[in-house]
Amino acid sequence: MFGQLLSSLADGLLLGFVYGLAAMGLSLIWGVMTVINLAHGPVIALGMFTAYLLFTQAGVNPYLALLPVAVLGMALGLVIYGAAVHRVLNAPHLSTLLATFAVNMIIIGVGTAVFTTSPHNIDFSLGSFSLGPLTVPFTRVVAAFAALAATALLYLFLYFTRPGKAIRAVANNRMAAELMGISSTTMLALSFGLGTLLACLAGGLIATFFPFTILSGGPYELKSFVICVLGGLGNPLGALLGGLLLGGLEGLVPAFMPVSWVPVVEFGLFVLVLLLRPQGLLGAK
Amino acid sequence: MALLEVTDVASGYGEVQILWGASLKLYRGQLTTLVGSNGVGKTTLLRTVMGLLRPWQGTIVFDGQDLTRAPAHARAKAGLVLVPEGRQLFTDMTVLENLEMGAFSPRARAHFQENLDKVFALFPRLAERRGQKSGLMSGGEQQMLAVARGLMAQPELLIIDELSLGLSPLLALTLFESLTQLKKSGLTMLLVEQNVSLALAVSDYAYVMAEGRVVMEGEARALLKNDDIRRTYLGVAH
Repeated sequence: MFGQLLSSLADGLLLGFVYGLAAMGLSLIWGVMTVINLAHGPVIALGMFTAYLLFTQAGVNPYLALLPVAVLGMALGLVIYGAAVHRVLNAPHLSTLLATFAVNMIIIGVGTAVFTTSPHNIDFSLGSFSLGPLTVPFTRVVAAFAALAATALLYLFLYFTRPGKAIRAVANNRMAAELMGISSTTMLALSFGLGTLLACLAGGLIATFFPFTILSGGPYELKSFVICVLGGLGNPLGALLGGLLLGGLEGLVPAFMPVSWVPVVEFGLFVLVLLLRPQGLLGAK
Repeated sequence: MALLEVTDVASGYGEVQILWGASLKLYRGQLTTLVGSNGVGKTTLLRTVMGLLRPWQGTIVFDGQDLTRAPAHARAKAGLVLVPEGRQLFTDMTVLENLEMGAFSPRARAHFQENLDKVFALFPRLAERRGQKSGLMSGGEQQMLAVARGLMAQPELLIIDELSLGLSPLLALTLFESLTQLKKSGLTMLLVEQNVSLALAVSDYAYVMAEGRVVMEGEARALLKNDDIRRTYLGVAH
């Protein structure tokens, strides 16, 4: 019993890193431009399929594929920003919600036509290792480290480079940034691109251990909302901690009740945090 | 040739017209004050000059370039810099980061170290607090940082909106002394200031606005003696 619990917890925590990575993209976009990107899930799925196509069609190692996946994620974000977000950025929130939801439907529609909704998977394994009662697939470990590395890179970018600081300046005070010669449009587009890049990366990593369809991003999008609330919305680095928290929870809950209760517990927690601590469990103010 | 020439500018918000054809000229090396009661359109004029509001008519020419339709960030890059009312600092960022963002444009970046030394000499307090989050500083320190951030942009023209608002008289005086130092170094400035007597005392020239237009202009010293001005803006009864 204890061994089972431990192994399920380790599983959950490792997965939590990837959840955190996916949520980071959503959180970054919200933090910079207060837009909730409802196309987040399909973007994650596109990350999965990009890794899949590169692997099956060109035999590219799924980890090597993360590079083109990232490039595609950035490009996708710039396109979505330019086509659907920029014009409605200053309109009421409902407009950006509907605009990104439309993008969501378009990606799912095209994705269903091209890939159908039957599951795909990347037939790739690194084996696993045992540690006492634990058996951990290496793909999970690599994914966790990759997520950690992406978080560290994002942190370094935002705090130690000029464009990163400019993104924070635009997030903090868009008008003042413009007055200092920073093109807010460029920085907003760049942050949206970064947000989708992170989502695609998360998708690429998840694809190395779970089968997926074009709809598979949905659950991760929902988890991202919970994580953002746990980690403090708009705080991309808090998202990693929120991801670990959620992953840990997902590991623990099935030990005490049927797996189908996991979302109930997750979203119960979501509502509870929103009611009691709306700035997020780990958010400042 | 004037450094900034604003000609017959009209603008406003939505359907509400605030400016009804305002014109002014600023010359290099001069410190100019824009005087007017609350609600006559001073801030609206500045916002239009800076590109935060679209002008409905008129032209804005800066340093020989027509900037009437240019976006705000392009104006900052050209050397037209505003220290906005209410400071508008990057409150989540440190003092040093605020100053770095001030020097974002390529022409300012080239003078980064030199300008940093200059603003730290002008406001030694900022040098002491360079690692502090700017939102946590006192009002006076924040205002110093707002001016310093503007100076980091290597301005050809520095426009300062309400420098003394919310500051103690002593602090206001200190900041105005910094302005006279900057003027001596040759910086062209435009002030919009509720403390009219203080502003006129340090200025070379002044424009008076009323009802969305510039209605009077002249040497600051002369305006300071003008009876209308004294009655309306300086609270001197006759």
